[in-house]
Amino acid sequence: MRGPREPDLSFSAGAFQTPAAPPASAPGAAPSPFDDPVLYDRIFDTLDFDVAFWTRLAREARGPVLDVGCGTGRITLPMLEAGADVDGFDLSRPMLARLQEKARARDFWPGLKCADMRDFTLPRRYALIAIPFNAFLHNLTTDDQLATLSRCREHLADGGALVMHVSCFSAQSILDSGGPPVLELERRDHATGHLLQHYDERTIDPVRQVQHSRNEARELDAAGRVVSSRFSETDVRWIYPAELDLLLRVAGFGRREIHGGFEREPVGANHGMLIAFARKE
Amino acid sequence: MSPSPDPTTYGDPELYDLAYSAYRDDLDFYVAAARGAGGAVLEAACGTGRILIPTLQAGVDIDGFDLEPAMLERLKQKAAALGLAPRVDTADKRDFTLQRRYALVTVPFRAFMHLLTTDDQLRALRCMREHLEPGGALVLNFFYPSFERIANPGEEPRIEREFPHPETGLPVVLQGRTSFDRVNQLLEAKQEVLVSDARGYVSATRARAFTLRWTYRYEMELLLEAAGFTRYAVAGGFDGRPLERDTDEMVWTAWRDGA
Repeated sequence: MRGPREPDLSFSAGAFQTPAAPPASAPGAAPSPFDDPVLYDRIFDTLDFDVAFWTRLAREARGPVLDVGCGTGRITLPMLEAGADVDGFDLSRPMLARLQEKARARDFWPGLKCADMRDFTLPRRYALIAIPFNAFLHNLTTDDQLATLSRCREHLADGGALVMHVSCFSAQSILDSGGPPVLELERRDHATGHLLQHYDERTIDPVRQVQHSRNEARELDAAGRVVSSRFSETDVRWIYPAELDLLLRVAGFGRREIHGGFEREPVGANHGMLIAFARKE
Repeated sequence: MSPSPDPTTYGDPELYDLAYSAYRDDLDFYVAAARGAGGAVLEAACGTGRILIPTLQAGVDIDGFDLEPAMLERLKQKAAALGLAPRVDTADKRDFTLQRRYALVTVPFRAFMHLLTTDDQLRALRCMREHLEPGGALVLNFFYPSFERIANPGEEPRIEREFPHPETGLPVVLQGRTSFDRVNQLLEAKQEVLVSDARGYVSATRARAFTLRWTYRYEMELLLEAAGFTRYAVAGGFDGRPLERDTDEMVWTAWRDGA
């Protein structure tokens, strides 16, 4: 929705709702990749393989859209540009602050809130709740997963759809586990001519289905010298296809579809992704 | 419902006993569970009675069923030779109706893995739950699907076990080729049993094939929840140790509410 709309006061007035869980980087905890949103954007903002999928869904939604784990708006902003009425929430205040700044610069006024996906309460009901690119995998236990699904279901309008995109766990992750850091992403920053690299050093716990990542964001100048390096850590819990279907079933979604890609391809180990559609009847 | 197991899987009970009658890793556990049940026991997929017969001998009130009549025939013959009269019948885990209710229902030796879809798994779990007394327990085991178990080891057959022939004492080799469908969590195994003669030459080769579906730990918890069980626990072996490694055997207990 273009034009000013009353922003969510809990965000714009700076009076954030305290999340139920401690923020990712509480004192003493490992640094989170979400503490430095500018750096995050410099590395990930051009990632666009999923943007067309989400903007199409948002455009076709017959009502408001909620972006869960909206971060700095990599998906939120294109959905707004596509004309959708979008709200978003995230656990990280710095990420939200950056999204708000970017939205204002383009004269968008999305409702934004600092909240935990396991325990959020918003005044509106949505035609589409989007959980893009692995945000759901930050739920590390079945109870957390079910709590998130239950809150999402509560916030869907009748006939509304919850759609999530998660990466499939691959044999490669097991082979990489305990090995040297893997260069996952590399891009040239046009403003500076610098090379930005994102390394991921993974260890996995197969029984808990948790992958621990120690990430390094490394910046190299034109001569190839390292000019900065920032480490952060994240945990994700992966989900198998049959398990995802059961989660949605136990959370009360009677109508479910799980696909292996944005074009509703069948689930296949090589596609590397799962797209779940769950409808509230 | 997906199709029942390939009839050739369990159509040759003699071959089955040759391959498995010496397997004892789970025997003490299931006999002890049955003795401690404090009521009637039902064993699903009891086969040729590897566990059911020793349980009867321990004085437990146990019923059993299996999908394959030939397996039950062999069970009855073996029991008759010991002077026992087992109560066993043919039935499908997914859809059976018995008059009694049980303090314990067991599905030993990874038989749960013959349920090849989520729907079949849920049907079986609900059906078994129906046959439990309030407070009764369902106990079953299957392996944790470690990467080693569900990755293609190549074309070469892999030796699973070597053991002496129960009657002749001559060496027997159990080897298998396995292929995997990791999307549907299916493992297709072709197994060969090689019996050697006294000089060490393979004198007979017999084959069987089967398909198993593996299940992950959290997936099983969700299955139990969806089937109506609210209380359950998993151990990482028959000795009750915690499940920690992907090479562990998952030993599940789920209780029906009440009592």
